[in-house]
Amino acid sequence: MGNGTWRISRSRGGAHLPLVIVAALAVALILIGKAQSSLFDRARAGIVDWMRPALVATRTPMEALNRWVGSVGEIFVVYQENLRLKEENARLRQWHNTALVLQDRIKRYQLLLHAVPDPSISSSVARVIGRASHPFLQTMILDAGTADGIKPGQAVVDQRGMIGRVFLTGQRTSWVILLTDLNSRIPVSIEPNTDQAIMAGDNSPMPVIETLARGVQLHEGDQVVTSGDGDILPAGIPIGVIVADGPRYRVNLFADQTTAQDVQILDFKQPPEHPPAVSPGELPVTAAGLPPAVAQTNQGLPPPQLQPVAPKPVYKPPSVAPPVQPAPGTADDNSDSVPDNGDR
Amino acid sequence: MRCAVERLGGVMGGKFLTNTIPVLLGLLGVAITNLPFSIFGSWIPSPMYALMPIYFWCLVRPDLMSPGWAFAIGVIHDVLSGGPPGIWAASFVATYAVIDRQRDAFAGLSGWGAILGFATAALAACTAQYLIYCIYMWRLMPVSGSIKEFAVTSVLYIPVAFLLAWIHHRFVGPLRSEI
Repeated sequence: MGNGTWRISRSRGGAHLPLVIVAALAVALILIGKAQSSLFDRARAGIVDWMRPALVATRTPMEALNRWVGSVGEIFVVYQENLRLKEENARLRQWHNTALVLQDRIKRYQLLLHAVPDPSISSSVARVIGRASHPFLQTMILDAGTADGIKPGQAVVDQRGMIGRVFLTGQRTSWVILLTDLNSRIPVSIEPNTDQAIMAGDNSPMPVIETLARGVQLHEGDQVVTSGDGDILPAGIPIGVIVADGPRYRVNLFADQTTAQDVQILDFKQPPEHPPAVSPGELPVTAAGLPPAVAQTNQGLPPPQLQPVAPKPVYKPPSVAPPVQPAPGTADDNSDSVPDNGDR
Repeated sequence: MRCAVERLGGVMGGKFLTNTIPVLLGLLGVAITNLPFSIFGSWIPSPMYALMPIYFWCLVRPDLMSPGWAFAIGVIHDVLSGGPPGIWAASFVATYAVIDRQRDAFAGLSGWGAILGFATAALAACTAQYLIYCIYMWRLMPVSGSIKEFAVTSVLYIPVAFLLAWIHHRFVGPLRSEI
């Protein structure tokens, strides 16, 4: 606006040389970032830790403004909203009672079956102090980092469901890759048949279901939860419901990740599951009757720890009493007693 | 106010502070872009606020918005957005190159023409960003997000341009470049 009214202060030629230099710098930065992303991530974490007070300070007035703008619009619908909330509250109370009864029942069943208890999950609450919503990027910055026990890979949820997972942590800040981001891949389980699949973000509001087993038919409204595969995320975190999109399936997320302000970061404490040690009898070489190979310790690997195995039980037929020798003369009696149709 | 600014410039190094206004506004644009709030609701990308001061002062005072500053603003944008490094920086530098080559044409525009001029720069930025991402990820990316980003940035430039013009007249304009 009005650009033509001002005099241009400098001729065009003077800026050409630095333009070439900074263009080369930009290309170099992309290449270095591609080759050494961890280097840039460390720098990024340090810079944002340093900028954290500014981000928090910027957040406060904007949050107030956002709330004020939102409240102005809500004045006109407050009566209807109140009625709706009362109705919803009544329904939720019923569900609450049902949930308590079911929880007690599950505990009884677990005791009866000696079921393994669920892994303990602790959580930290953090505030969202930054959010990038760009065409190819959906991330968040939280005001909690390694000093608060946050580690990369942890799940981030709000009161409705999963939002994303932590992918980078600084001392006081951490980055979250949202479920809708292009680079997000989450192993999920689709109820009620616990069909396993991968949910992939494509920067649209609803992530896509990928790598579903052939022939599996999903239905709209099927619930999607985390599967817990790989021990990265806890199993059973609600994510959303299935929505058909032509030949593909998408997931309508429970959580609105664009409006979440306070989130929970789940610390999944299940120890990694190791496969049981191999016994010598189970090794294919031993099973084939060949001598076992010498352990190769020169590669820095410790020799496999073999469990002492009891000798395999050998099948022994049940002991049978030795046949009784017939007394002389008895055989003739017996032969006489048994009719021999062939001879007679 | 103008006298106060000039006095500051002569006495307390206020000229330096005044000269940093375009860059500071670019950094403010980066911060606003990455705020955890959106006035456009859920699924419209954040506008490229940082591009607006870059375009504006690249035309009217290129000595205060050099390519180096455009690159620096882009790097800060990369840092705050959490994306791959260098992509915003390269996009802003590419856009700067377009504006720089067509400065005479852009600077002659006024009114709606100036808005169209900025829309051209925003289109260059979105296109550069899209192409760089496609090469970086080595696959064809969806284009709808870039179109939305271009549209919302172009529309928002209308009110922001008035604000930038006011700031320029009030603070930056009185201290003319000596180049």
